[in-house]
Amino acid sequence: MNQPSPSVRSDAPLLEMHSISKHFGGVMAVADVSLHLNAGEALAIVGDNGAGKSTLIKVLTGVHELDEGEIRMEGRPVSITNKRQSRQIGIEAVYQDLGLVDSLDAAGNVFLGHELKHRFLGLTFLDNARMATEAARVLKEQVGIELEDIHVATHHLSGGQRQAVAIARAIYATDLKILVMDEPTAALGAEETRNTLMLMQNLKQQGIALIVISHNLDHVFRIADRIMVMRSGRAVATLDRSTATKQDVLAHIVDAVETEAA
Amino acid sequence: MIVALCLVMAFADPRFFRLQNLMIILQDASIFMVLAMGMTLVITGRGIDLSVGSVAALSAVIMAMLIKDAGVNVFLGMAVAILVGITCGLVNGFVVTKLRVPDLIATLSTDLVFRGFALVLAAGVVLSRFPDPLTWIGRGRIFETIPIAAVIGVIVIAVGFVLYRYTPLGRYAVAIGGNTEAAVLTGIDVHRHKIYQYMLLGGLAGLAGILLTGRLNAIQATAGMGLTLHTIAAVVVGGTSLFGGRGSMTGTLVGVLLLSMVVNALVMLRLDFFWQQVAAGLIIISSVAFYAALQDPGRGGLSGLFRRARGGRS
Repeated sequence: MNQPSPSVRSDAPLLEMHSISKHFGGVMAVADVSLHLNAGEALAIVGDNGAGKSTLIKVLTGVHELDEGEIRMEGRPVSITNKRQSRQIGIEAVYQDLGLVDSLDAAGNVFLGHELKHRFLGLTFLDNARMATEAARVLKEQVGIELEDIHVATHHLSGGQRQAVAIARAIYATDLKILVMDEPTAALGAEETRNTLMLMQNLKQQGIALIVISHNLDHVFRIADRIMVMRSGRAVATLDRSTATKQDVLAHIVDAVETEAA
Repeated sequence: MIVALCLVMAFADPRFFRLQNLMIILQDASIFMVLAMGMTLVITGRGIDLSVGSVAALSAVIMAMLIKDAGVNVFLGMAVAILVGITCGLVNGFVVTKLRVPDLIATLSTDLVFRGFALVLAAGVVLSRFPDPLTWIGRGRIFETIPIAAVIGVIVIAVGFVLYRYTPLGRYAVAIGGNTEAAVLTGIDVHRHKIYQYMLLGGLAGLAGILLTGRLNAIQATAGMGLTLHTIAAVVVGGTSLFGGRGSMTGTLVGVLLLSMVVNALVMLRLDFFWQQVAAGLIIISSVAFYAALQDPGRGGLSGLFRRARGGRS
């Protein structure tokens, strides 16, 4: 039911962002950035701190409203002025803090705000049993992990498991088309990182597009199809993973290559 | 801790376990059961309500005046008491959410306001001698044994248990208290649910006012002064986190019973009233410190135990 439709009718990319600009007062956080993204594709955004990566994805997820530019989903222009609009068109973000309610279990978090309910004696009750089964199913089939105990509070889960729960929520809460991940591997150990990268591959195979912000070029090269380098609010290069090297990317990040005249 | 208390009392004074005394404990606990149920939800939602004692007094005074002075039907009077309580809760919720006054300050202030209204209305008069239905609720016994107020209290806690675990009201209190930002992001109407929590607690405070009036067969505007802090203490002793996001209705029931038992035990041991206060305070500190120790991630053994206990319970 939440599978993205495999066939996009038009040949338009899933997501297009045209000439996006966003400034805070006099500071140009994002200047004239364009990108596109196809279903099942992973785009990494890299760059130094303050390069505008976070601002750019926050424009996409509705945290910031864009000042100039246009966003199109499947060829249609869309307006994203708040987080809910962003969710409604199938864009979800998993930030570093994950936004989980620690004291709730996986099911409680996956269904947060979209609880399954049943009516009894004219009153509405939560259907905890069905939510637990469904959450376990989504986690296993779509995210690819199995929790030992689905009822344990997420507070007691590992970093990777918590991330999986956050992603399961993103998948379930919306007809997920694009998942934005901010530093998904930053807080994880080696084993957990491997699981998360596998999970990301898994999502791509289901046709979900990923936008990943990461400082770790090893991980970027393992997951991304294309790598966009940002510097001072501008997209200075977009490289193809298959042809680029880490040195190329690094060079763009630190401005060691010739770019267009400013 | 209840077990420890029982052991001590078994040696100190076996009369503690007489049915009659246990029923007195339940009678004393009943008002706190009613208040603590709503307080558990409010605190779980990262709120606090310091006005419940005054809400109970104001509801009771208005009810008493309607019954005594205006000759209103006693049942209608009780309904009005609960409505007054709900209205006070609505005011609290409104001040906290729409006026964005922090819960503590908001209810500290409305406590003064509600108490003030009660004092103005009652004008120093003690209203007493109420019709039977009211005293029956407050001090009546089923089979001459089980206090009716305690039955009401247990029912209220049972309803609270269901609310907490099986309804959006409880679930969203946990979500709002645990991670307000996440709750907002998932589309939960935080303001609305905080107002609901305060209204529920307000209505229960109205009910507490009815129980209080019925038990004493009298009411005055200064009644229920100590109710608020005792209720909060019972909720916290029961394991609900003052920082929100984690609560327990069964814990609250245990907390209420424990505090009532302690007070009762201290009276039986003929401890001076002022020492009772000291003991009650120490018990609250030690139980909260106990929870803090349980949750300290540095103590693997205890937290591991706690995790298993938590995992097994749900």
